[in-house]
Amino acid sequence: MTDELRLERVIDAPPDVVFEAFTSHGGQLAFYGTDDPAWIVQSQCDLRVGGLWTVTFGPSPNHLYRHHSVFEIIDRPRRIVLATTESRPDRPSFDFAVEFTFEAQDGRTLMTVIQSGFPTPELRDEHGRGVPNAFARLERAIRASK
Amino acid sequence: MQHNGTLDRTFFALSDPTRRGILERLAHGPATIGELAEPFGLTLNGLKKHVGILENVDLVITEKVGRARECRLGPAQLDDATSWIDGYRRVWERRLDRFGAYVEERR
Repeated sequence: MTDELRLERVIDAPPDVVFEAFTSHGGQLAFYGTDDPAWIVQSQCDLRVGGLWTVTFGPSPNHLYRHHSVFEIIDRPRRIVLATTESRPDRPSFDFAVEFTFEAQDGRTLMTVIQSGFPTPELRDEHGRGVPNAFARLERAIRASK
Repeated sequence: MQHNGTLDRTFFALSDPTRRGILERLAHGPATIGELAEPFGLTLNGLKKHVGILENVDLVITEKVGRARECRLGPAQLDDATSWIDGYRRVWERRLDRFGAYVEERR
């Protein structure tokens, strides 16, 4: 059991291509887009350590989400670490950490997203000490109860 | 994705190691308050407090059996928390899928 939410995908392109795409405007719009033609997605990215990447996305102008991220580590073309704040229309904003890694795998790339941090700010504020492991706790509790 | 006060309370209920320990113990079958208190080194009142928080979000249900109060798992709200996590994971999976398709189509 780990302390994080981890997702993986093998992409049929080498890491430098995937990294370049992920840090490009088009790649960022793809990452936050959907097939809905009315879907809104805007991205502004200052790709440097300490730089800000802001993405606004959502189904309509009245229902927009926003990710404000600060680049903490940029290790081209292997790894990006972000400190992100998600703002949303239906509840208070919350912070989380996201790490993207790009590993070569026979000419392809294993892209991994590792997300840690806790998605309910109410809980974070009430229990500042233990929250980073919340996903792990929740999954453990769920597993134990099955 | 679900967002409601119950979900927040469920996360809160699960944020404490003793309460997670209680759930793990109850996963093996029902137990009385006394049986639950002993391994945690808690007083009956201390344990009751924890059970009360779990009971409020239906993670646990209790029932008087003779002179003891028996506790067992109540699964309903855990399903909410599970589906919240599942929804969150699905959003990020879709992002990866779309981005992967974007890169592969450009090659």
